[in-house]
Amino acid sequence: MQFSDRVTGLFLVALGGLAAYGGSRLPPVPGQQVGPDVFPMVIGTGLCLCGALIALGVGKSFEEDPEDETLSATEVQSGPPDWWRGLMALIPPGLLLFYVLTVDRLGFVLTAGLMVLTTATALGARLRLAVPLAIVAPVLVHLLFSKLLRVPLPPGLIPMPW
Amino acid sequence: MTSGLTRRQVLAGGAAGGAALALGLNPAQAQTWPARPVTVICPWGAGGGTDATVRIVSAVLEKELKQPFNVVNRTGGSGVVGHAAIASAAPDGYTIGILTVEISMLHWQGLTEFRPDSYTPLALMNEDPPGIQVNASSPYKTVKELADAVKAAPPGKLKASGTGQGGIWHLALVGWLTAMGLKPDHVAWVPLNGAAPAMQDLAAGGLDIVTCSVPEARAMIEAGKARSLAIMAAERNPAFKDVPTLKEAMGIDYTTGAWRGIAGPKGMPPETVAAMTAALKKVNESSEFRDFMASRGFGVRWAPGAEFGSFMEAGDKAMGVAMKAAGLAKG
Amino acid sequence: MSTLFEAIGMVCQTDVLIAILLSSIYGLVVGSLPGLSATMATALLVPVTFYLSPIAAIATIISASAMAIFSGDIPGALLRIPGTPASAAYTDEAYAMTRKGQPEMALGIGLWFSALGGIAGTISLMLLAPPLAEIALNFSTFEYFWLAFLGLMCATLVARSSPVKAIASMFLGLLVSCVGIDNPAGAARFTFGSVDLLGGIEPIPALVGVFAVSEVMRAMLTSEPPKLPYRRFGSILAGQIALTKQYVKPQVRGNIVGIIIGVLPGAGADMAAWVSYAMSKRFSKTPEKFGTGHPEGLIEAGASNNASLASGWVPALLFGIPGDTITAIAIGVLYMKGLNPGPTLFTERASSMYALYIIFILANIIMIPLGIVMIRAASHVLRAPRAAIMPVIVLLCAVGAFATGNNLYSVMIVAAFGIIGFVMERNGYPVAAMVLGIVMGTMVEQSFVTSIIKSDGSILPFFERPVSAVLASFTIAALLWPLGAWLWRLRSRPLAQ
Repeated sequence: MQFSDRVTGLFLVALGGLAAYGGSRLPPVPGQQVGPDVFPMVIGTGLCLCGALIALGVGKSFEEDPEDETLSATEVQSGPPDWWRGLMALIPPGLLLFYVLTVDRLGFVLTAGLMVLTTATALGARLRLAVPLAIVAPVLVHLLFSKLLRVPLPPGLIPMPW
Repeated sequence: MTSGLTRRQVLAGGAAGGAALALGLNPAQAQTWPARPVTVICPWGAGGGTDATVRIVSAVLEKELKQPFNVVNRTGGSGVVGHAAIASAAPDGYTIGILTVEISMLHWQGLTEFRPDSYTPLALMNEDPPGIQVNASSPYKTVKELADAVKAAPPGKLKASGTGQGGIWHLALVGWLTAMGLKPDHVAWVPLNGAAPAMQDLAAGGLDIVTCSVPEARAMIEAGKARSLAIMAAERNPAFKDVPTLKEAMGIDYTTGAWRGIAGPKGMPPETVAAMTAALKKVNESSEFRDFMASRGFGVRWAPGAEFGSFMEAGDKAMGVAMKAAGLAKG
Repeated sequence: MSTLFEAIGMVCQTDVLIAILLSSIYGLVVGSLPGLSATMATALLVPVTFYLSPIAAIATIISASAMAIFSGDIPGALLRIPGTPASAAYTDEAYAMTRKGQPEMALGIGLWFSALGGIAGTISLMLLAPPLAEIALNFSTFEYFWLAFLGLMCATLVARSSPVKAIASMFLGLLVSCVGIDNPAGAARFTFGSVDLLGGIEPIPALVGVFAVSEVMRAMLTSEPPKLPYRRFGSILAGQIALTKQYVKPQVRGNIVGIIIGVLPGAGADMAAWVSYAMSKRFSKTPEKFGTGHPEGLIEAGASNNASLASGWVPALLFGIPGDTITAIAIGVLYMKGLNPGPTLFTERASSMYALYIIFILANIIMIPLGIVMIRAASHVLRAPRAAIMPVIVLLCAVGAFATGNNLYSVMIVAAFGIIGFVMERNGYPVAAMVLGIVMGTMVEQSFVTSIIKSDGSILPFFERPVSAVLASFTIAALLWPLGAWLWRLRSRPLAQ
């Protein structure tokens, strides 16, 4: 997930170009001198410019990020291979997608329980911690949101008594 | 467990497009409606007039029917997102929402496929006509003087606002201009994010005219920063007796208004519709609702079920004509 | 004087006091959950206010919103998950302080200076409401354009990264703000035929994604860090009083900036915190300490944040113009309870107005003991194992995002922005700058386009109107300053080597 500045810079140039092109195709609105096309074009140009500067390494001297060093220090350690750990990072967004796809069918408590269980075990929790957490946390969150905040959460297979 | 199963069956019925299936299931359900909390979708954000209206209606419904009515704001896209959410909800009576005049405008602009007939109309609750406001220090004391100045000014010289491009108050301005025989863009429209910023810009001297409902302009008028010259309605607003109607002031018989009504997705079981309309009638007659509407200066307008439906249909046709004339409609 | 006593009598009713206490606790809880905003806390109180006396109804809104804004700092400081766009400005600073083993200090600053800021804002409301309201009325779209522009320029100042990357991040945020049809033309931009995208991308789900989800993603890659050195603070307040004496200037400056920005409808607390944090860094004697857990910026931003909240009521009370969504809800409640906004509220209903001031001050005072309890309780989160906290965060991200729009689409936005935020952080692009772009984008475009329509295509009024000219010169000075400093550094570097 870590790329060189050249790669991210060129990506921004491409994105900026697309934004400007997409913006330029928007039709003008009668009575407005500055139409809906102008801002995307300005932003796209800005992105291109920044991307080019980044790719050329301008402004690199300002970067001082002590956090990065500590991060990479803890990362270099024995364990599963790199690509496996890289995939692990996709678990949280993947679980959110899982929530979107299944919550209406399975219901809130079940979906949430599975999410908590997966995240906890992925982070190395023992089942002794993960299972009770996966039962207690969703119920508490459900109580909080449906009672105090009145958010309608889908009941699904296991409706809550309140 | 059982209630979960019933809901799934109902959902499956809805997904299969089987309104008939839903109907078949529903006699038993309708007797007990509402058996669980009802979700009420509001297409506009917290703090606005629509949000306030839907919250008072829900609060009274909750008292009447002894089940929670949870208001959820599903905002964005000039109301497209929320209106779409109401139309595509399961027609089981547990998701309803508040429709606003925009539902008869957005589809003409090609922004949504939903039209007034995509819903089960339950009850019209409110309508507010637009007023014509100017800065308190402007030389125009009557709408006639303002109209003369508008006619004399070169096209695009005067600026008006009240909402975004193609919004209801924009159409109100266009309607007034065309009724005077002027081009729709004779007064330039400045798209602003609602009536409040428009009134502020009017007071700041950035605009010449603001068309928005008089309740929305009320505080600025009472603060002595703005003046309301006329309203585009058949009758004067009892809360603002000094403001004449356009017909009284200039003989132009042009009226329009922004309305709000409660509706559900299409294909709701008739028993539930009847129960709901009856409950909404009680809301309309309740002192809480009446006091609230009076305190905000909102107009109460009542039309139950099918009557609300034909009101929307008529409004929709008129909007189509007006928007095509103004060049705001697509195609 | 008699009106003042009358007002005290109005506030000292049992129902009012209970309303203040309960809504304060409620506000603290809601605000501390990531993704749930003070606006949502307030909107949910509206049905409750139907059944309360007028003063009690207003009291619930005031206390809940003040508490929710403060407690939005809690997840930011403890977990690097800001609760509101405002606290995103200084989340990194507060989190750095937590990593130094001073979580209670970071939160104590938020609490103490928020409370003081709130009181300063209230005093300005009491003494200066009419002149402040005049400021607000002098702001037309021309002035708003410069203001929004100045706000965007804070992007380069808040991050400890390359300014080019900060600006690139800000542009990315601006690009995100283009999505949808909520633009002056009402044109559908970058929606790719999706109804959900027509509504645009809201700042809150994006914020939750780039901060919270990407934090959990990072946790997946690293082994459990050594437990933070934990020491219980003797007294949260004692430390704050020392800081108050040490940093008088930033605090006062924060209050003033907050009061002025707060009065401007539409700008509000979000912008006040960003501008104040950036100003603090710019005028500090030790700008290099910013971002390492240094109290100065936190003090100024905290002071500004809550001051703006109180002064935001000025246009609401005088003209019925909401400064933000919270005051918009409050205006509705005022009307409903017969306290119609307008100048007469200050004259004919003076005792009610005094009661309102007293409630403001009361709410900011009880915020301190309640907040201390909350801080003590919340800092236990840091001692819990990571494998227990992170799953709950993922869950809260999902439900919190769903709750903002009652829409599963928001949950997808959170997931997408989690990935975006993760990749950006890894490559040294500051995510806070992107959040700023998302928040300010609409305002920049809206104010520019409408101004151009009003001036018939001329840009002269941007420089001719008096307030506009002042803001323009600020902007240009702020633009040239870092450029000059940078050129000077470039020139002097070879000599130094």
